[in-house]
Amino acid sequence: MFRFIVRRLIVTVPMVLIVITLTWGLIRLAPGNFYSTDKKLPPAIEKNIRTKYGLDQPWYVQYGRMMSNIVRLDFGNSLKYENETVNDILKRTLPVSATLGILAYLLALVVGVFFGTLAALKPNSKLDYISMALAMLGISVPNFVLGPILVLVFSLSLYWLPPARWDGFPSWNLVLPVLTLSAIYMAYIARLTRAGMLEVLRSDYIRTARAKGLSERQVIVRHALRGGLLPVVSFTGPALAILISGTVVVERIFAMPGLGNYFINANLNRDEPLIIGIVAFVSIAVLIFNLLVDVAYGFIDPRIRY
Amino acid sequence: MKKIKIARSVGLVIVAALVAASCTTHASKSEFFGKISPPEGQVLRYVTGSEPESLDPQMSSGQPEARIDMALYDGLAEYQPKTMEPIPSIAERWVTNEDASEFVFFLRHDAKFSNGDPITANDFVYTIRRGFRPELASRLAYLGYDIKYAEAFNSLDSFVRDPQTGRFLLASEAAPPSDGAKGDSAAPSNAQPAAPPTAAEQEAQLQKRLAMKGEDAARDTDFHKFIHSPERLVVPSDEKERQKAFKANPKLEALVAGKELVPVRAEDIGVEAVDDYTLRITMRQPAPYFLGLVPHQFFRAIPQKVVEKYGVNWTKPENFVGSGAFKLQEHKPYNDLTVVRNPYFWDAANVHLDKIIFYPLEDNTTIMNLYKAGDVDATFNHTVPASWLKSGVRYMKDYMDAPENGSAYWQINTTKPPMNDVRVRKALNMAIDRDALADYRVVSKPNNTFVPKGILHGYPLLQGFNLDVEGAKRLLVEAGYKDAAGNYDPKKFPADQVEVTYNTNDSNRQIAEFVQSQWKQNLGITISLRNVEWKTFQDLRSKLQYKGIAGGAGWTGDYMDPFTYLGLFTTNGGDNGTGWTDKKYNAMLDEANHEPDQAKRYEMLAKCETYMLDAAPVIPLLKPATSWMKKPYVKGMYPNPGTLHAWKYVYIEHDSAKWDQGMPDMTTDQLAELSAKE
Repeated sequence: MFRFIVRRLIVTVPMVLIVITLTWGLIRLAPGNFYSTDKKLPPAIEKNIRTKYGLDQPWYVQYGRMMSNIVRLDFGNSLKYENETVNDILKRTLPVSATLGILAYLLALVVGVFFGTLAALKPNSKLDYISMALAMLGISVPNFVLGPILVLVFSLSLYWLPPARWDGFPSWNLVLPVLTLSAIYMAYIARLTRAGMLEVLRSDYIRTARAKGLSERQVIVRHALRGGLLPVVSFTGPALAILISGTVVVERIFAMPGLGNYFINANLNRDEPLIIGIVAFVSIAVLIFNLLVDVAYGFIDPRIRY
Repeated sequence: MKKIKIARSVGLVIVAALVAASCTTHASKSEFFGKISPPEGQVLRYVTGSEPESLDPQMSSGQPEARIDMALYDGLAEYQPKTMEPIPSIAERWVTNEDASEFVFFLRHDAKFSNGDPITANDFVYTIRRGFRPELASRLAYLGYDIKYAEAFNSLDSFVRDPQTGRFLLASEAAPPSDGAKGDSAAPSNAQPAAPPTAAEQEAQLQKRLAMKGEDAARDTDFHKFIHSPERLVVPSDEKERQKAFKANPKLEALVAGKELVPVRAEDIGVEAVDDYTLRITMRQPAPYFLGLVPHQFFRAIPQKVVEKYGVNWTKPENFVGSGAFKLQEHKPYNDLTVVRNPYFWDAANVHLDKIIFYPLEDNTTIMNLYKAGDVDATFNHTVPASWLKSGVRYMKDYMDAPENGSAYWQINTTKPPMNDVRVRKALNMAIDRDALADYRVVSKPNNTFVPKGILHGYPLLQGFNLDVEGAKRLLVEAGYKDAAGNYDPKKFPADQVEVTYNTNDSNRQIAEFVQSQWKQNLGITISLRNVEWKTFQDLRSKLQYKGIAGGAGWTGDYMDPFTYLGLFTTNGGDNGTGWTDKKYNAMLDEANHEPDQAKRYEMLAKCETYMLDAAPVIPLLKPATSWMKKPYVKGMYPNPGTLHAWKYVYIEHDSAKWDQGMPDMTTDQLAELSAKE
């Protein structure tokens, strides 16, 4: 187990460096600069800016400087917001995105597993059809539709909840974004749970458990769920990584000062250090969460051993 | 079964709420939009647009930053809240010499920074010099290039001195020979005449430039004599760039050979503190429009000690010191920025608001949601989505619809056929119904001239391009697009050589599609559309690599003067984007800018514009109109042409009887006159 983890972590490092290099190259290929705006700059001013930010140096010097920064885990200053370091921005935005992401995922987990299990217990019943239909709806309605509808109903008609903006944790401002964000995951988890549970409930060890005379509740909670949730676990890794590292659309609709909002603007602004910082962070997050999932498998699934 | 009922009832609630929501939007038509409940006390919650890139007024180039800077910093002059003309602020008054090449500002004695330090003329000297420092690399530096030697200092140029005599070479000595040598942007200033003026002429010119009378005549100083001595020659300090300049002007190389280079210093710029409360700014040429720039954030006072102590971090809330009516209290990037009253502000007694909270929001729907829910009191410009406008928001009493200091136009690549033919350019211009376009666009007014019509007081209303399909066809026939019988034949027009390239954006697309259909309908020509991302678009445009037409250009005036528009075509680079330049046009502009009488100058500038429109390097389309919202209880805030608000005039009116019932009164004498003409 330990060796497995170490081996995976070692592989992570070159992968992140490759991702960063590719990103760096792509930024260079994209037309335009962080300093270009609506109005064209006089050449002298452009030259001053290029000198100030070292853009007048050859590409390998720029690449080397960027890489040496990254190895020291210091991504430098943002080009657009010149008195902020990328590390400061990450430190500030990560809690926002993580709060939204974790809350949304917890909600999705509780509701999804509950309805998925219910549906699996009474397959082809009305309850099954309705919850699965709702789940299908959840998957097909994109969050940029769901979010505005929720805002229209709860903020602009009923005036119950604020329509946007971050106001710390906990606050009423979180309700709508978390709901919007969790809908699709809720739906996925419900369907995954139902499928997993249906399969497990038919298996021999459940029949054995029932034969031992355990109550239905114990059969389901202690035996069936453990196996039935395996697909949900493998879904959790990438889902959490994406949720925590900022969800562009929801953060945009609800004006949340999270990673996603910064990321989209960093790209539009060609803010190289910030783009690279966020890409590095997200790729590390994805790799680590995948690793965690694999490790978790070892605990949940008795068939898997490292 | 119970669960099903719950699900059903939840569904019913949602449907009912949706129905209710759609009803309420219809019911409130023509009244105010959303919830009206003034915040307690004197607090304004304002949406200012994207997150400010910097709170350093000399480093922040955008409108969102400009609005915050106006709260945090005060300048020699402030924008008049309705017309945006410069009105006295830290400078109590100012005088101009006869040809508008020198300005003397007399400062009030009680102006203070937010830490209590006095603001003197030296602070402005520091501020202005800092703005041009090459290592600061401010994008705004070009705004002050007309200040003598500012451009040279910002461009890292050097004076040229003869080591034997110690004499500095003059710009006039290096003026390129007039026979056919083309003016190149790399060459040093060629504003001086080729023949060096005689001593008597120089003396006469000096007297003219100095002409300020009586008490207005600030003390003459050594610096003043230096800055009024004939303009010195400057060359790039960088070896490579100098070689380029030599190539452009062969005379230069011989002149500079064997001479020593003396870098232009910050102290050489034409800014001088004559005494603690008198500031003198000297331009390299007449620049009557400069006063309109004085309230710009680039020229607002910053505290030298704090800036030097904290470097790039001086604008963080814990270090911040400003000069404006408000000071920075808290800044949570991408969320909010709070400023509170500055007790040391010279006019603090007349500041109404205790606090302004700026929300850096970009998504228009989100902004309007917050506005409707009553969570913000006013928004910045162009925040109302088109679909909302059409559903009735534009008729509401809190919608601000006034003309803006801007011009939306298309650029024509005049270097490639068929658009290198002026007749084709004119024909395309004449085949567009601009009134219909403006009507379709909603937040716009038609504009058939380049300088937006009717916004600048006293500027003549020109004829411009009007819809004339027959005339357009005649021009195309003249250009050779005709059949054997001599009639207009659209099939002969090389429509595949022309396309409208625009940057991806909904309103650009709508305008492009509209004009496309107009040309098809009126001329039978189908011109294809191509959308590219903004930065790619800029690249294509600046290199003149687009085919035919670049759509989507807009120009927002930097100051309230036609020159901010007409000056675009003086060089080939920059924002021109059309490849059209004209020596005669440049000479006409130059002559106009030497005219001290404003009314006459405007007449002359109007002639320049007519001349330019006759060459038709652009297709003017619209002038933008403001489109933003303000709750009726927000007073002292006006839809001025730049959507820049002097915050000290703004207040929250708690007495509902005094609330605005529509657009606030924008009439001053000048505006009344203008609207009569419209």
